[in-house]
Amino acid sequence: MSKHYDVIVIGGGPAGYVGAIRAAQLGLSTAVVDNFIYKDGEPSLGGTCLNVGCIPSKALLDSSEQYHKVKHTLSAHGIKAKDVELDVKEMIKRKDKVVKDLTGGIAQLFKANKIDWLKGHGKLLDNKQVQVTGQKGEQETYQAENVILAPGSRPIDIEAAPLDGDRIVNSDGALDFDDVPKRLGIIGAGVIGLEMGSVWSRLGSKVVLLEAQDQFLPTVDQRVAKSAQAEFKKQGLDIRFGARVTNAKTAKNVTVHYEDKDGKQSLQVDKLIVCVGRRPNTGDLFSEDANLLLDERGFVNVNEQCETNLPGVYAIGDVVRGPMLAHKGSEEGVMVAELIAGGNGHVNYDTIPWVIYTHPEIAWVGRTEQSLKSAGIPFKSGTFNFGATGRARAMEETAGMVKIIAHAETDRILGVHIVGPQASELIAEAVVAMEFHASSEDLARIIHAHPTLSEAVHEAALSVSKRAIHKAN
Amino acid sequence: EDAELSPAVRRLVDEHQLDPRAIEATGPGGRITKEDVLRHMESGSSDS
Repeated sequence: MSKHYDVIVIGGGPAGYVGAIRAAQLGLSTAVVDNFIYKDGEPSLGGTCLNVGCIPSKALLDSSEQYHKVKHTLSAHGIKAKDVELDVKEMIKRKDKVVKDLTGGIAQLFKANKIDWLKGHGKLLDNKQVQVTGQKGEQETYQAENVILAPGSRPIDIEAAPLDGDRIVNSDGALDFDDVPKRLGIIGAGVIGLEMGSVWSRLGSKVVLLEAQDQFLPTVDQRVAKSAQAEFKKQGLDIRFGARVTNAKTAKNVTVHYEDKDGKQSLQVDKLIVCVGRRPNTGDLFSEDANLLLDERGFVNVNEQCETNLPGVYAIGDVVRGPMLAHKGSEEGVMVAELIAGGNGHVNYDTIPWVIYTHPEIAWVGRTEQSLKSAGIPFKSGTFNFGATGRARAMEETAGMVKIIAHAETDRILGVHIVGPQASELIAEAVVAMEFHASSEDLARIIHAHPTLSEAVHEAALSVSKRAIHKAN
Repeated sequence: EDAELSPAVRRLVDEHQLDPRAIEATGPGGRITKEDVLRHMESGSSDS
Protein backbone atom coordinates (compact mmCIF):
# COMPACT_ATOMS: atom_id res chain seq x y z
CA MET A 1 0.00 0.00 0.00
CA SER A 2 1.19 3.47 -0.82
CA LYS A 3 2.34 5.44 2.23
CA HIS A 4 2.19 8.71 0.38
CA TYR A 5 -0.83 10.59 -0.96
CA ASP A 6 -1.48 13.95 -2.59
CA VAL A 7 -4.48 14.33 -0.28
CA ILE A 8 -5.42 12.61 2.96
CA VAL A 9 -8.86 13.47 4.28
CA ILE A 10 -9.63 12.82 7.94
CA GLY A 11 -13.35 12.06 8.18
CA GLY A 12 -15.71 10.45 5.65
CA GLY A 13 -18.80 12.58 6.30
CA PRO A 14 -20.47 14.92 3.77
CA ALA A 15 -17.55 17.35 3.90
CA GLY A 16 -14.77 14.75 3.77
CA TYR A 17 -16.17 12.22 1.33
CA VAL A 18 -17.29 14.86 -1.16
CA GLY A 19 -13.93 16.64 -0.93
CA ALA A 20 -12.18 13.31 -1.50
CA ILE A 21 -14.24 12.44 -4.56
CA ARG A 22 -13.64 15.90 -6.04
CA ALA A 23 -9.89 15.60 -5.34
CA ALA A 24 -9.79 12.20 -7.04
CA GLN A 25 -11.71 13.58 -10.03
CA LEU A 26 -8.98 16.20 -10.36
CA GLY A 27 -6.32 13.51 -10.57
CA LEU A 28 -4.97 13.67 -7.03
CA SER A 29 -4.07 10.43 -5.23
CA THR A 30 -6.48 10.46 -2.31
CA ALA A 31 -7.17 8.56 0.89
CA VAL A 32 -9.91 8.98 3.49
CA VAL A 33 -9.44 8.02 7.14
CA ASP A 34 -12.71 7.24 8.90
CA ASN A 35 -13.50 5.48 12.15
CA PHE A 36 -17.30 5.49 12.28
CA ILE A 37 -18.75 2.11 13.25
CA TYR A 38 -22.44 1.61 12.50
CA LYS A 39 -24.61 -0.04 15.15
CA ASP A 40 -24.18 -3.43 13.43
CA GLY A 41 -20.45 -3.24 14.20
CA GLU A 42 -19.41 -2.52 10.59
CA PRO A 43 -17.25 0.46 9.55
CA SER A 44 -19.46 2.89 7.68
CA LEU A 45 -18.68 5.93 5.52
CA GLY A 46 -20.96 8.95 5.35
CA GLY A 47 -20.37 10.43 8.80
CA THR A 48 -23.08 11.83 11.02
CA CYS A 49 -25.32 12.89 8.14
CA LEU A 50 -25.72 9.47 6.57
CA ASN A 51 -25.45 7.28 9.65
CA VAL A 52 -27.11 9.17 12.49
CA GLY A 53 -28.24 12.52 11.08
CA CYS A 54 -29.91 13.83 7.95
CA ILE A 55 -30.71 10.57 6.23
CA PRO A 56 -32.07 8.41 9.07
CA SER A 57 -34.04 11.33 10.49
CA LYS A 58 -35.60 12.03 7.10
CA ALA A 59 -36.39 8.33 6.65
CA LEU A 60 -38.30 8.37 9.94
CA LEU A 61 -39.92 11.73 9.21
CA ASP A 62 -41.26 10.36 5.94
CA SER A 63 -42.44 7.06 7.44
CA SER A 64 -44.10 8.79 10.36
CA GLU A 65 -45.78 11.24 8.02
CA GLN A 66 -47.26 8.40 5.97
CA TYR A 67 -48.66 6.91 9.15
CA HIS A 68 -50.02 10.22 10.35
CA LYS A 69 -51.64 10.79 6.96
CA VAL A 70 -53.41 7.48 6.81
CA LYS A 71 -54.50 7.80 10.42
CA HIS A 72 -55.59 11.43 10.50
CA THR A 73 -55.68 13.36 7.25
CA LEU A 74 -56.79 10.99 4.49
CA SER A 75 -60.37 11.14 5.78
CA ALA A 76 -60.54 14.68 4.37
CA HIS A 77 -60.11 13.08 0.92
CA GLY A 78 -62.91 10.63 1.58
CA ILE A 79 -60.49 7.79 2.24
CA LYS A 80 -61.28 5.71 5.26
CA ALA A 81 -58.62 3.32 6.51
CA LYS A 82 -59.59 0.98 9.34
CA ASP A 83 -57.33 -0.94 11.71
CA VAL A 84 -54.17 0.91 10.76
CA GLU A 85 -51.26 -0.66 12.59
CA LEU A 86 -47.84 0.65 13.36
CA ASP A 87 -44.77 -1.61 13.42
CA VAL A 88 -42.00 0.56 14.84
CA LYS A 89 -39.37 -2.17 14.49
CA GLU A 90 -40.14 -2.47 10.77
CA MET A 91 -39.97 1.30 10.40
CA ILE A 92 -36.55 1.38 12.08
CA LYS A 93 -35.43 -1.55 9.91
CA ARG A 94 -36.36 0.33 6.74
CA LYS A 95 -34.45 3.36 8.01
CA ASP A 96 -31.40 1.17 8.65
CA LYS A 97 -31.64 -0.26 5.13
CA VAL A 98 -31.76 3.23 3.61
CA VAL A 99 -28.65 4.12 5.63
CA LYS A 100 -26.84 0.89 4.66
CA ASP A 101 -27.62 1.35 0.96
CA LEU A 102 -26.37 4.92 0.92
CA THR A 103 -23.23 4.39 2.99
CA GLY A 104 -22.44 1.32 0.87
CA GLY A 105 -22.94 3.57 -2.14
CA ILE A 106 -20.18 5.87 -0.95
CA ALA A 107 -17.81 2.92 -0.57
CA GLN A 108 -18.64 2.05 -4.21
CA LEU A 109 -17.95 5.63 -5.29
CA PHE A 110 -14.60 5.46 -3.51
CA LYS A 111 -13.70 2.33 -5.46
CA ALA A 112 -14.81 3.88 -8.74
CA ASN A 113 -12.67 6.95 -8.02
CA LYS A 114 -9.71 4.90 -6.71
CA ILE A 115 -9.85 6.47 -3.27
CA ASP A 116 -8.27 4.44 -0.45
CA TRP A 117 -10.47 4.04 2.62
CA LEU A 118 -8.18 3.81 5.65
CA LYS A 119 -10.31 2.40 8.47
CA GLY A 120 -9.42 3.83 11.85
CA HIS A 121 -8.89 7.01 13.78
CA GLY A 122 -6.94 9.68 11.93
CA LYS A 123 -4.60 12.05 13.71
CA LEU A 124 -2.61 14.91 12.22
CA LEU A 125 1.07 14.81 13.18
CA ASP A 126 3.84 17.27 12.44
CA ASN A 127 4.81 17.95 8.82
CA LYS A 128 1.52 16.75 7.24
CA GLN A 129 1.88 13.20 8.45
CA VAL A 130 -1.30 11.34 9.36
CA GLN A 131 -1.37 8.54 11.87
CA VAL A 132 -4.13 5.96 11.49
CA THR A 133 -5.08 3.81 14.49
CA GLY A 134 -7.22 0.80 13.59
CA GLN A 135 -9.92 -0.82 15.71
CA LYS A 136 -7.45 -3.28 17.23
CA GLY A 137 -4.95 -0.56 18.05
CA GLU A 138 -2.66 -1.21 15.07
CA GLN A 139 -0.98 1.97 13.82
CA GLU A 140 0.28 3.17 10.47
CA THR A 141 1.65 6.56 9.47
CA TYR A 142 1.17 8.14 6.05
CA GLN A 143 2.72 11.17 4.43
CA ALA A 144 0.42 13.66 2.71
CA GLU A 145 1.09 16.61 0.42
CA ASN A 146 -2.20 18.07 1.66
CA VAL A 147 -4.39 17.19 4.62
CA ILE A 148 -8.09 17.97 4.82
CA LEU A 149 -9.51 17.80 8.34
CA ALA A 150 -13.20 16.91 8.31
CA PRO A 151 -13.81 15.20 11.66
CA GLY A 152 -17.29 16.66 12.12
CA SER A 153 -19.21 17.26 15.31
CA ARG A 154 -21.01 15.44 18.08
CA PRO A 155 -24.04 16.15 20.30
CA ILE A 156 -23.44 18.35 23.33
CA ASP A 157 -24.09 16.58 26.63
CA ILE A 158 -25.44 18.46 29.62
CA GLU A 159 -24.65 17.63 33.23
CA ALA A 160 -28.26 18.08 34.31
CA ALA A 161 -29.39 15.20 32.10
CA PRO A 162 -26.66 12.58 31.66
CA LEU A 163 -27.37 9.98 28.97
CA ASP A 164 -28.15 6.48 30.20
CA GLY A 165 -28.41 4.84 26.80
CA ASP A 166 -32.03 3.87 27.40
CA ARG A 167 -34.39 6.49 28.80
CA ILE A 168 -32.21 9.57 28.41
CA VAL A 169 -30.68 9.68 24.94
CA ASN A 170 -29.27 12.13 22.42
CA SER A 171 -30.29 12.46 18.76
CA ASP A 172 -28.52 9.17 17.90
CA GLY A 173 -30.64 7.22 20.40
CA ALA A 174 -33.83 9.00 19.34
CA LEU A 175 -33.50 7.33 15.91
CA ASP A 176 -33.64 3.86 17.44
CA PHE A 177 -36.53 3.71 19.89
CA ASP A 178 -38.12 0.27 19.54
CA ASP A 179 -41.51 1.48 20.68
CA VAL A 180 -43.44 4.75 20.71
CA PRO A 181 -42.88 6.48 24.06
CA LYS A 182 -46.23 7.54 25.53
CA ARG A 183 -44.71 10.74 26.87
CA LEU A 184 -41.59 12.17 25.29
CA GLY A 185 -39.53 15.05 26.66
CA ILE A 186 -37.07 16.94 24.49
CA ILE A 187 -34.51 19.41 25.78
CA GLY A 188 -34.00 22.01 23.05
CA ALA A 189 -36.53 23.27 20.49
CA GLY A 190 -34.02 23.78 17.69
CA VAL A 191 -33.88 22.00 14.34
CA ILE A 192 -33.05 18.55 15.74
CA GLY A 193 -35.47 18.77 18.65
CA LEU A 194 -38.32 19.83 16.38
CA GLU A 195 -37.64 17.07 13.86
CA MET A 196 -37.35 14.34 16.49
CA GLY A 197 -40.44 15.70 18.22
CA SER A 198 -42.32 15.62 14.92
CA VAL A 199 -41.42 11.99 14.24
CA TRP A 200 -42.58 10.65 17.59
CA SER A 201 -45.54 12.97 17.92
CA ARG A 202 -46.88 11.75 14.57
CA LEU A 203 -46.56 8.21 15.81
CA GLY A 204 -48.59 9.03 18.90
CA SER A 205 -46.20 10.38 21.58
CA LYS A 206 -47.29 13.24 23.76
CA VAL A 207 -44.32 15.55 23.18
CA VAL A 208 -43.07 18.37 25.42
CA LEU A 209 -40.10 20.47 24.29
CA LEU A 210 -38.20 22.43 26.93
CA GLU A 211 -36.45 25.40 25.36
CA ALA A 212 -34.11 27.58 27.42
CA GLN A 213 -34.52 30.64 25.17
CA ASP A 214 -37.61 32.82 25.33
CA GLN A 215 -38.03 33.03 21.59
CA PHE A 216 -38.96 30.36 19.04
CA LEU A 217 -36.25 29.80 16.38
CA PRO A 218 -34.56 33.18 16.92
CA THR A 219 -32.45 32.92 13.75
CA VAL A 220 -35.52 32.31 11.56
CA ASP A 221 -37.54 35.21 10.18
CA GLN A 222 -39.95 35.85 13.03
CA ARG A 223 -43.08 36.11 10.91
CA VAL A 224 -42.35 32.69 9.44
CA ALA A 225 -41.37 31.32 12.86
CA LYS A 226 -44.66 32.55 14.36
CA SER A 227 -46.62 30.95 11.54
CA ALA A 228 -44.80 27.64 12.11
CA GLN A 229 -45.24 27.86 15.87
CA ALA A 230 -49.00 28.23 15.48
CA GLU A 231 -49.09 25.10 13.28
CA PHE A 232 -47.02 23.07 15.73
CA LYS A 233 -49.31 24.14 18.56
CA LYS A 234 -52.31 22.89 16.57
CA GLN A 235 -50.50 19.58 16.10
CA GLY A 236 -50.09 19.22 19.84
CA LEU A 237 -46.35 19.89 20.15
CA ASP A 238 -46.08 21.47 23.60
CA ILE A 239 -43.13 23.90 23.45
CA ARG A 240 -42.24 25.56 26.76
CA PHE A 241 -39.98 28.61 26.57
CA GLY A 242 -37.51 30.00 29.08
CA ALA A 243 -37.35 26.50 30.56
CA ARG A 244 -33.95 25.68 32.08
CA VAL A 245 -33.48 22.04 32.96
CA THR A 246 -31.82 21.63 36.35
CA ASN A 247 -31.98 17.89 36.82
CA ALA A 248 -33.36 14.71 35.25
CA LYS A 249 -33.83 11.58 37.36
CA THR A 250 -34.50 8.11 36.01
CA ALA A 251 -36.54 5.64 37.98
CA LYS A 252 -39.46 3.85 36.35
CA ASN A 253 -39.98 7.04 34.38
CA VAL A 254 -37.86 10.10 33.87
CA THR A 255 -38.61 13.09 36.07
CA VAL A 256 -37.31 16.31 34.58
CA HIS A 257 -36.93 19.29 36.88
CA TYR A 258 -36.74 22.68 35.27
CA GLU A 259 -37.18 26.34 36.09
CA ASP A 260 -39.13 28.88 34.09
CA LYS A 261 -40.41 32.38 34.81
CA ASP A 262 -43.05 30.94 37.16
CA GLY A 263 -40.47 29.07 39.25
CA LYS A 264 -39.66 25.41 39.72
CA GLN A 265 -41.51 22.92 37.53
CA SER A 266 -41.32 19.21 36.91
CA LEU A 267 -42.33 16.91 34.10
CA GLN A 268 -42.81 13.13 33.92
CA VAL A 269 -41.83 11.43 30.67
CA ASP A 270 -41.02 7.92 29.47
CA LYS A 271 -38.08 9.03 27.34
CA LEU A 272 -36.00 12.16 27.24
CA ILE A 273 -34.00 13.38 24.24
CA VAL A 274 -31.18 15.85 24.84
CA CYS A 275 -30.58 18.03 21.78
CA VAL A 276 -29.18 21.33 22.91
CA GLY A 277 -26.60 21.62 20.15
CA ARG A 278 -23.48 20.08 18.66
CA ARG A 279 -19.78 20.72 19.18
CA PRO A 280 -16.74 20.19 16.95
CA ASN A 281 -14.79 16.92 17.17
CA THR A 282 -11.29 18.17 17.88
CA GLY A 283 -10.41 15.67 20.60
CA ASP A 284 -7.34 13.63 19.59
CA LEU A 285 -7.48 15.15 16.10
CA PHE A 286 -3.89 16.41 16.12
CA SER A 287 -0.66 15.92 18.05
CA GLU A 288 0.72 18.79 20.07
CA ASP A 289 3.74 19.28 17.82
CA ALA A 290 1.44 19.72 14.83
CA ASN A 291 0.73 23.23 16.25
CA LEU A 292 -2.74 23.45 14.73
CA LEU A 293 -4.56 26.58 15.81
CA LEU A 294 -8.12 26.42 17.24
CA ASP A 295 -10.34 29.48 17.57
CA GLU A 296 -11.74 30.79 20.88
CA ARG A 297 -14.81 28.55 20.60
CA GLY A 298 -12.82 25.36 20.00
CA PHE A 299 -13.30 25.13 16.24
CA VAL A 300 -10.30 24.68 13.94
CA ASN A 301 -9.23 28.17 12.92
CA VAL A 302 -9.59 28.75 9.16
CA ASN A 303 -9.78 31.61 6.69
CA GLU A 304 -12.43 32.09 3.95
CA GLN A 305 -10.79 29.33 1.91
CA CYS A 306 -10.71 26.84 4.78
CA GLU A 307 -6.92 27.08 5.13
CA THR A 308 -5.65 26.45 8.67
CA ASN A 309 -2.55 28.08 10.14
CA LEU A 310 -0.49 25.20 8.67
CA PRO A 311 0.36 25.38 4.95
CA GLY A 312 -1.23 22.48 3.07
CA VAL A 313 -3.61 21.67 5.92
CA TYR A 314 -7.29 22.56 5.45
CA ALA A 315 -10.34 22.09 7.65
CA ILE A 316 -13.97 21.90 6.51
CA GLY A 317 -17.51 21.14 7.70
CA ASP A 318 -18.77 21.14 11.27
CA VAL A 319 -15.25 21.42 12.74
CA VAL A 320 -14.93 25.00 11.42
CA ARG A 321 -17.01 28.21 11.68
CA GLY A 322 -20.27 28.61 9.85
CA PRO A 323 -23.56 26.71 9.93
CA MET A 324 -23.38 23.01 10.81
CA LEU A 325 -25.11 21.81 7.65
CA ALA A 326 -24.19 18.90 5.38
CA HIS A 327 -24.35 20.93 2.15
CA LYS A 328 -22.13 23.63 3.66
CA GLY A 329 -19.47 21.04 4.48
CA SER A 330 -19.72 19.40 1.06
CA GLU A 331 -19.26 22.71 -0.74
CA GLU A 332 -16.22 23.46 1.39
CA GLY A 333 -14.87 20.02 0.46
CA VAL A 334 -15.26 20.82 -3.23
CA MET A 335 -13.68 24.25 -2.79
CA VAL A 336 -10.64 22.88 -0.97
CA ALA A 337 -10.10 20.05 -3.48
CA GLU A 338 -10.22 22.57 -6.32
CA LEU A 339 -7.82 24.92 -4.54
CA ILE A 340 -5.36 22.07 -3.96
CA ALA A 341 -5.54 21.16 -7.65
CA GLY A 342 -4.70 24.76 -8.55
CA GLY A 343 -8.22 25.90 -9.31
CA ASN A 344 -10.37 28.71 -7.98
CA GLY A 345 -12.86 27.12 -5.61
CA HIS A 346 -15.08 29.34 -3.53
CA VAL A 347 -18.13 29.02 -1.27
CA ASN A 348 -20.81 31.68 -1.13
CA TYR A 349 -21.67 31.75 2.56
CA ASP A 350 -24.48 34.26 1.90
CA THR A 351 -26.61 31.80 -0.04
CA ILE A 352 -26.55 28.67 2.10
CA PRO A 353 -30.13 27.42 2.45
CA TRP A 354 -31.49 26.11 5.76
CA VAL A 355 -34.25 23.54 6.11
CA ILE A 356 -36.23 22.16 9.05
CA TYR A 357 -38.08 19.01 7.98
CA THR A 358 -41.13 19.38 10.17
CA HIS A 359 -44.63 19.39 8.76
CA PRO A 360 -45.09 21.97 7.42
CA GLU A 361 -41.44 22.34 6.49
CA ILE A 362 -39.46 25.50 7.18
CA ALA A 363 -36.77 26.68 4.76
CA TRP A 364 -34.93 29.90 4.25
CA VAL A 365 -31.95 31.59 2.63
CA GLY A 366 -30.40 34.99 3.17
CA ARG A 367 -31.31 37.70 5.64
CA THR A 368 -34.25 37.85 8.03
CA GLU A 369 -36.39 40.93 8.60
CA GLN A 370 -35.11 41.31 12.17
CA SER A 371 -31.44 41.15 11.08
CA LEU A 372 -32.00 43.77 8.34
CA LYS A 373 -33.78 46.05 10.81
CA SER A 374 -30.94 45.86 13.30
CA ALA A 375 -28.40 46.47 10.51
CA GLY A 376 -30.40 49.50 9.33
CA ILE A 377 -30.75 48.19 5.77
CA PRO A 378 -33.90 49.51 4.04
CA PHE A 379 -36.10 46.73 2.68
CA LYS A 380 -39.55 45.90 1.39
CA SER A 381 -41.22 42.53 1.61
CA GLY A 382 -44.01 40.51 0.07
CA THR A 383 -45.86 37.48 1.37
CA PHE A 384 -48.22 34.89 -0.01
CA ASN A 385 -50.16 32.18 1.78
CA PHE A 386 -50.19 28.64 0.41
CA GLY A 387 -53.90 28.53 1.20
CA ALA A 388 -54.47 30.88 -1.75
CA THR A 389 -52.81 28.55 -4.27
CA GLY A 390 -54.86 25.99 -6.15
CA ARG A 391 -52.21 23.29 -5.82
CA ALA A 392 -52.02 23.50 -2.03
CA ARG A 393 -55.82 23.41 -1.86
CA ALA A 394 -55.92 20.35 -4.09
CA MET A 395 -53.30 18.71 -1.87
CA GLU A 396 -55.16 19.64 1.33
CA GLU A 397 -51.89 21.25 2.48
CA THR A 398 -52.87 24.84 3.03
CA ALA A 399 -50.79 25.83 6.04
CA GLY A 400 -47.91 28.26 5.68
CA MET A 401 -46.60 31.09 3.56
CA VAL A 402 -43.74 32.46 1.48
CA LYS A 403 -42.06 35.72 2.41
CA ILE A 404 -39.62 37.52 0.13
CA ILE A 405 -37.51 40.41 1.31
CA ALA A 406 -35.86 42.77 -1.20
CA HIS A 407 -33.72 45.90 -0.86
CA ALA A 408 -35.96 48.98 -0.74
CA GLU A 409 -33.96 50.85 -3.38
CA THR A 410 -32.25 48.28 -5.60
CA ASP A 411 -34.96 45.58 -5.37
CA ARG A 412 -32.24 42.95 -4.97
CA ILE A 413 -33.52 39.85 -3.11
CA LEU A 414 -32.02 39.76 0.38
CA GLY A 415 -33.87 36.82 1.89
CA VAL A 416 -36.56 34.24 1.16
CA HIS A 417 -38.42 32.47 3.95
CA ILE A 418 -40.88 29.66 3.52
CA VAL A 419 -43.04 27.66 5.89
CA GLY A 420 -45.28 25.19 4.15
CA PRO A 421 -45.52 22.06 2.03
CA GLN A 422 -42.23 21.14 0.32
CA ALA A 423 -40.49 24.29 1.50
CA SER A 424 -37.25 22.27 1.34
CA GLU A 425 -37.63 21.89 -2.43
CA LEU A 426 -39.04 25.35 -3.10
CA ILE A 427 -36.10 27.13 -1.47
CA ALA A 428 -33.75 25.98 -4.27
CA GLU A 429 -35.29 28.52 -6.67
CA ALA A 430 -34.58 31.30 -4.19
CA VAL A 431 -30.96 30.18 -3.84
CA VAL A 432 -30.47 30.27 -7.62
CA ALA A 433 -32.10 33.69 -7.83
CA MET A 434 -29.89 35.12 -5.09
CA GLU A 435 -26.77 33.55 -6.57
CA PHE A 436 -27.52 35.48 -9.79
CA HIS A 437 -28.15 38.70 -7.82
CA ALA A 438 -31.76 38.65 -8.94
CA SER A 439 -34.27 41.34 -8.04
CA SER A 440 -37.74 40.51 -6.74
CA GLU A 441 -38.99 41.74 -10.11
CA ASP A 442 -36.87 39.08 -11.84
CA LEU A 443 -38.60 36.36 -9.86
CA ALA A 444 -41.95 38.06 -10.44
CA ARG A 445 -41.39 38.04 -14.22
CA ILE A 446 -40.33 34.39 -14.46
CA ILE A 447 -42.99 31.89 -15.54
CA HIS A 448 -44.02 29.41 -12.86
CA ALA A 449 -45.98 26.31 -13.84
CA HIS A 450 -49.63 26.18 -12.87
CA PRO A 451 -50.85 24.65 -10.68
CA THR A 452 -47.74 24.18 -8.52
CA LEU A 453 -46.64 25.15 -5.03
CA SER A 454 -43.92 27.30 -6.62
CA GLU A 455 -46.63 29.78 -7.58
CA ALA A 456 -46.62 30.89 -3.94
CA VAL A 457 -42.98 31.99 -4.45
CA HIS A 458 -44.00 33.79 -7.65
CA GLU A 459 -46.92 35.57 -5.98
CA ALA A 460 -44.80 36.55 -2.97
CA ALA A 461 -42.30 38.12 -5.40
CA LEU A 462 -45.15 39.99 -7.13
CA SER A 463 -46.42 41.02 -3.73
CA VAL A 464 -43.13 42.84 -2.97
CA SER A 465 -44.24 45.49 -5.47
CA LYS A 466 -47.90 45.12 -4.44
CA ARG A 467 -49.01 43.45 -7.62
CA ALA A 468 -49.81 39.90 -6.54
CA ILE A 469 -52.68 38.58 -8.62
CA HIS A 470 -54.35 36.15 -6.25
CA LYS A 471 -54.70 38.35 -3.22
CA ALA A 472 -55.73 41.90 -2.35
CA ASN A 473 -52.53 43.94 -2.18
CA GLU B 1 -28.15 39.23 -27.03
CA ASP B 2 -31.45 40.07 -25.37
CA ALA B 3 -31.69 36.54 -24.01
CA GLU B 4 -28.74 37.19 -21.68
CA LEU B 5 -30.69 39.86 -19.82
CA SER B 6 -32.68 38.92 -16.73
CA PRO B 7 -36.45 39.49 -16.94
CA ALA B 8 -36.41 42.70 -14.89
CA VAL B 9 -33.43 44.10 -16.82
CA ARG B 10 -35.12 43.24 -20.13
CA ARG B 11 -38.23 45.12 -19.01
CA LEU B 12 -36.28 48.23 -17.95
CA VAL B 13 -34.12 48.26 -21.08
CA ASP B 14 -37.21 48.00 -23.30
CA GLU B 15 -39.25 50.56 -21.39
CA HIS B 16 -36.50 53.14 -21.29
CA GLN B 17 -34.94 52.28 -24.65
CA LEU B 18 -31.49 51.79 -23.15
CA ASP B 19 -28.43 50.31 -24.78
CA PRO B 20 -27.43 47.35 -22.56
CA ARG B 21 -23.81 47.70 -23.77
CA ALA B 22 -23.63 51.15 -22.13
CA ILE B 23 -24.62 49.77 -18.71
CA GLU B 24 -21.88 48.79 -16.31
CA ALA B 25 -22.52 45.19 -15.28
CA THR B 26 -21.72 43.98 -11.76
CA GLY B 27 -23.59 40.66 -11.70
CA PRO B 28 -21.95 37.23 -11.79
CA GLY B 29 -20.38 36.41 -15.16
CA GLY B 30 -20.63 40.04 -16.31
CA ARG B 31 -24.42 40.04 -16.16
CA ILE B 32 -26.38 43.25 -15.78
CA THR B 33 -28.50 43.30 -12.65
CA LYS B 34 -31.58 45.43 -12.07
CA GLU B 35 -29.47 47.48 -9.65
CA ASP B 36 -27.02 48.22 -12.46
CA VAL B 37 -29.80 49.56 -14.70
CA LEU B 38 -31.25 51.70 -11.93
CA ARG B 39 -27.79 53.11 -11.16
CA HIS B 40 -27.20 53.74 -14.86
CA MET B 41 -30.46 55.66 -15.20
CA GLU B 42 -29.88 57.64 -12.03
CA SER B 43 -26.45 58.76 -13.22
CA GLY B 44 -28.25 60.37 -16.13
CA SER B 45 -26.18 58.66 -18.79
CA SER B 46 -29.19 58.39 -21.05
CA ASP B 47 -28.45 56.97 -24.44
CA SER B 48 -31.92 57.01 -25.90
